[in-house]
Amino acid sequence: MIRIGIPTALLYYQYYPMWKTFFEELGAEVVVSPPTTQDMLVAGSSRVVADTCLPVKIFLGHVLSLVGKCDYIFIPAVRSVKSRVYNCSKFLGLPDMTRAVIPESSPILDIDIDVNKGKRNLHQAIYQLGRHFTWNPFKVRQASLAAWQAHLNYHELMSSNNLTPPQAIERISGTTESEANSSYISSTQATIAVIGHPYLLYDEHINHRFISRLKQAHNNVLTPEMLSAEELQSATARLVGRAYWTYEEEVVGAGDHYIQNGADGVIGIMTFGCGPDSLMMDMVRRQAGRLKTTPFMSLTLEEHTSEAGIITRLEAFLDMIHRRKRRQVTACV
Amino acid sequence: MRVGIPHMGNVYIPLKALFDRLNIDYVIPPVNNQRTLSLGVRYSPEGLCIPFKLTLGNLIEAAELGADTLIMPGGTGICRLGYYAKTQEQIIHDLGYNCEMVQLGVSEQKLFGLLKIIKRLSNYAPWAKIISAFRFGLAKLNALDRIERVVQKVRPVERIKGTANRLYAKAIKAIDKADDYATLKKVQTDYIDQLNQVNKDNQAQPLIVGITGEFYVVLEPFSNLDVESELGKLGVEVRRTTFVSEWTKFSLFLNPLGVNEKTRIHKAALPYLRRDIGGDGWESVGEKVLHAKEYDGLIHLAPFTCMPEIIAQNIMPSTKETIPVLTILCDEQIAKPGMLTRLEAFVDLLERKRRKGNNR
Repeated sequence: MIRIGIPTALLYYQYYPMWKTFFEELGAEVVVSPPTTQDMLVAGSSRVVADTCLPVKIFLGHVLSLVGKCDYIFIPAVRSVKSRVYNCSKFLGLPDMTRAVIPESSPILDIDIDVNKGKRNLHQAIYQLGRHFTWNPFKVRQASLAAWQAHLNYHELMSSNNLTPPQAIERISGTTESEANSSYISSTQATIAVIGHPYLLYDEHINHRFISRLKQAHNNVLTPEMLSAEELQSATARLVGRAYWTYEEEVVGAGDHYIQNGADGVIGIMTFGCGPDSLMMDMVRRQAGRLKTTPFMSLTLEEHTSEAGIITRLEAFLDMIHRRKRRQVTACV
Repeated sequence: MRVGIPHMGNVYIPLKALFDRLNIDYVIPPVNNQRTLSLGVRYSPEGLCIPFKLTLGNLIEAAELGADTLIMPGGTGICRLGYYAKTQEQIIHDLGYNCEMVQLGVSEQKLFGLLKIIKRLSNYAPWAKIISAFRFGLAKLNALDRIERVVQKVRPVERIKGTANRLYAKAIKAIDKADDYATLKKVQTDYIDQLNQVNKDNQAQPLIVGITGEFYVVLEPFSNLDVESELGKLGVEVRRTTFVSEWTKFSLFLNPLGVNEKTRIHKAALPYLRRDIGGDGWESVGEKVLHAKEYDGLIHLAPFTCMPEIIAQNIMPSTKETIPVLTILCDEQIAKPGMLTRLEAFVDLLERKRRKGNNR
């Protein structure tokens, strides 16, 4: 059986169930890289020029950990998933860059996803990918339909049950032992919204267990996945008009939505050197400054970010929110 | 309505000619200087690249001079550039200037879109007038680039360093002043003659270094600390394929007809980079592969945190076609002594390499 390696980084959090279904329907076995470790980060960083962004370095670390454990590594080049909305260059160049900096890696399966080139082009791309496994186009078609269904189910599962991507993936693959984790906290201190790309919010190594820390401090945590597509779209349209980046809604849309309703504080997580985020976070920050309703903090992560620094800033932010809430209560009395 | 524009190299000269002929009220902000940079850096989000910071500085300075309509290139599917106008508009509004931002879609609007914007700016002047003004602007642009090409050839071999640059500065002024085709033509031939008559070292066989990288930092001498003149002083001939006149010729007129000057470069890059990654990343890789035989070395200019160029920089070392590459990242921290040291070391390396090759 052909083994396909999928790095647990970047677009994994958005599309893993879809990819897994597609490959399994075609009779391949899917191998996933283990959770991020410091060693992976160091290994990944050693291959690229210094100003490559942190998520890409970690991605390469994951690819390195898959070398030798699979026959192919699947790295799609996602150019656009919506009409006239494009993705960051790093995603487009990912397969070629991996090939260049990790020459010893298993052969890379790449596929160009660009809906702007038309449906026909997309179908052809999917068929090209499926040809590695079967000559039968109907089988590829069936697999891709099943994959699409899995993708829809996955997003449905997340938005209806308020699950984060890792929780939803756990539930889909049937390893739900960490149910106790999501048990409802009886007395919440505050509701904090965390915005940013899934590969930053749910990779506990990159963000130093940021979300668990918030939960440990008895806060209710909101993430972009908990909003419906309509809510995200309308909030994005309100702030910037037409979206420019493929994953703009999870930053600008979610940011604007939570600043205006439902959260006591909003925290934006981005990495240093991220092209799209440097602009999008600034949009959200400006909006928060203009409205002055909800406090906003933006955290920039990189390899050198120390845990202590993050904790200090988080504590200060939470203290400020608690003080604010107390003052509001006394004002009401 | 008063129009303000950002700077990029000498592009303001053809634009000035265009605006003059159409009686558009305009301000040209001071050419890039330390103040422009400081303004841009102060009001930009920290992670942005030097083109954003400098153009923001230009636009703020234009707004200070009373501009109320600011022109900024944009578009989709390129790089962050498409988002710049949106962000800069907010920054300028937050600073208290009430300016309208006109986005020039460089990737999708093409010639007609551009002309339509000019028509709006010119308060709906007749088409004939717009087209004739546009042609005159293009003529100035072509004249500028023709002279620059000669300057590039003269710089490394002139006996008195700096002569070509002085003539070039004069030529720019003369072209700026010229207001009909005949004068323009005369200025162009005059200066090209003068440049050809400069006292030159005819024996010299200068090293040839290609310049590639991101469009703005390649074309804006302030952002790359005038790397071309510095190389000229070191006796190195500079070759580059990026010229604004070439770009307008192809992207406005020939690309819609299916002629693409970059096909050759893209084809060369294909084994290493199979797809367009936005910006000029594909071209950077392609130029390295394509010119590995012709040039002695390559200087790759990129703004700090430029997404496509980072990808290109990562891919470049793995190509089979080898040629020494010096990547210079341009940002507000770049300093002349540091850059000169690196350039000198690079040129030394190329000279040694050439001597070794000749001895063999």
